[in-house]
Amino acid sequence: MAAAFPLGWRHVEPLDLLSAAGCDFPRGRISEIIGTRSSGRTSVLHALLTASTGRGEYAALVDTKDAFDACSAASVGVELSKLVWIRCGGNAEHALRAADLLIQAGGFGVVALDLAEATPAALNRIPPTAWFRFRRALDSTPTILAVLADRPLAKSCSSLTIKMPPRRAAFTGRAPFLLLRDAG
Amino acid sequence: MFACIHGPDANRLADSFSPFVEMVDEKTAVFSITRRQIRQAESLPHPVAVAATAEAAILAARNLPGYTFIAPGQEARVLGTLSIDALPPDPELFETFHLWGIRSLEDLARLPQDDLAARLGDRGLWLQRLARGAFERPLCPRIPATVYEESAELEHPIKLREPLLFLIARFLHDLTARLKSQSLAAAALHLTLNGNQRRHGLPFPTRDVKLLLKLVEHSLERQPPDAPVAKVRLELIPTEPRRVQHGLFTPAAPEPEKLELTLGKIRGLVGEKNVGYPELFDTHRPGSARPATGRSYLSFRYFRPPLEARVSAERLWTRMFQGKILQIAGPWRSSGDWWQPDTWNRDEYDLALSDGALYRIYLDRAPKKWFVEGVYD
Repeated sequence: MAAAFPLGWRHVEPLDLLSAAGCDFPRGRISEIIGTRSSGRTSVLHALLTASTGRGEYAALVDTKDAFDACSAASVGVELSKLVWIRCGGNAEHALRAADLLIQAGGFGVVALDLAEATPAALNRIPPTAWFRFRRALDSTPTILAVLADRPLAKSCSSLTIKMPPRRAAFTGRAPFLLLRDAG
Repeated sequence: MFACIHGPDANRLADSFSPFVEMVDEKTAVFSITRRQIRQAESLPHPVAVAATAEAAILAARNLPGYTFIAPGQEARVLGTLSIDALPPDPELFETFHLWGIRSLEDLARLPQDDLAARLGDRGLWLQRLARGAFERPLCPRIPATVYEESAELEHPIKLREPLLFLIARFLHDLTARLKSQSLAAAALHLTLNGNQRRHGLPFPTRDVKLLLKLVEHSLERQPPDAPVAKVRLELIPTEPRRVQHGLFTPAAPEPEKLELTLGKIRGLVGEKNVGYPELFDTHRPGSARPATGRSYLSFRYFRPPLEARVSAERLWTRMFQGKILQIAGPWRSSGDWWQPDTWNRDEYDLALSDGALYRIYLDRAPKKWFVEGVYD
């Protein structure tokens, strides 16, 4: 949709998103990216995947709600051939099990667990021990487990929590000929 | 001695003489022949030639009628009568031969060897040796592809998975040992249970019995046999083994064997089609990953399937959320694939809702229904 941008439009480079947020995702730890819709949480996740696959690492995305847009990820530089994409059809339990298996397999730079938009009932069914299990499995590995969610889930097991504030929509032009340019 | 048969069913006839047959083309078969078999060859219905070299036999069988026996040392004399066109075609050299007045193999065979090599190089020398019937080469027989398979018919059908895996493990040990003896590895595994075949493509060639057995186990877990198994057949498709060179500075990557097993487990969990890597399709169909033409810095999340919505001039309602429309941009009309049953024709809008999110909605113009496709994030 964002096919054309007016001259003078300034954007935040996706890779700058990480440095702008002061985010140095710790390896072998759980990191959470928290935010509401349109807060830019997915952009941060894509930036993390871009950085990881750009270093030649393999990354995995466990997509609970089947929400991943490969097109926008590729446009910010995610190397899709180095990304394992697992769609869980809305089943959060399957997502947790898949993430567990990926962490146990080892060798991934980033394992991203996208739990955003999952129903509260499904999230409440996640036992707190699952996060301790992840933390123990990640210990002494170079893998970053990035959890994307609407609210904090891993609690004390998380070493880094990035809270994305709500962003304001920015349109250009005059009604009725508006053009969406950014959410920021 | 070598014999050559030139005819429509040369392959079948040659097989009756020797198991090692080289098919030069569809109609020409060469094989090694014993002194006793030479008499049998005389009675064949097609042109047959017997000579001390394979190439002399091929030339004679292709160009002389009936049965031809060329005694050792007589090749140049017998072949000399043939036209120069009987040799493998080489337009450039043939033009030179024509300018030199060379019309037959005898003419070419008589040329001084050193002078010919100086003027026409290796290729010219090779043609002369063919013309003299003196070019010797080993036979390159076609070897039928080895089928790496094991099968068993059981008196008492197997009902449980473990005994079945025990049997399959034995097959795998035997087959991988046979592959190893030929320096080969398995590229795919075909398991047939009671006549139902399941095929497993392997992402890399392997001879690892544990890995192959685990893959079969995962497959049986995902899709158990319909009935107790009375017939088992296992086939490994051979290929060249994998050769990998590791580097000191190469980033760590998942071990292929471990990754395949992990993905096999996850496939059992979420379904076969839900595991893979994203692929960009060369289409403008909305929702399908397509190559980005411009750089967009707005990441997008899909609602799959799109949320059905009700839209008024001021508000939007869905089963998940509702709100007041603050700003709206659009429409952008798109359509395509009109020649296919699943055509699309829609008007897209970007809208900012009062819940603070930016959505992409569209009006499907065929049923005149509104949908929320996803959210910019």
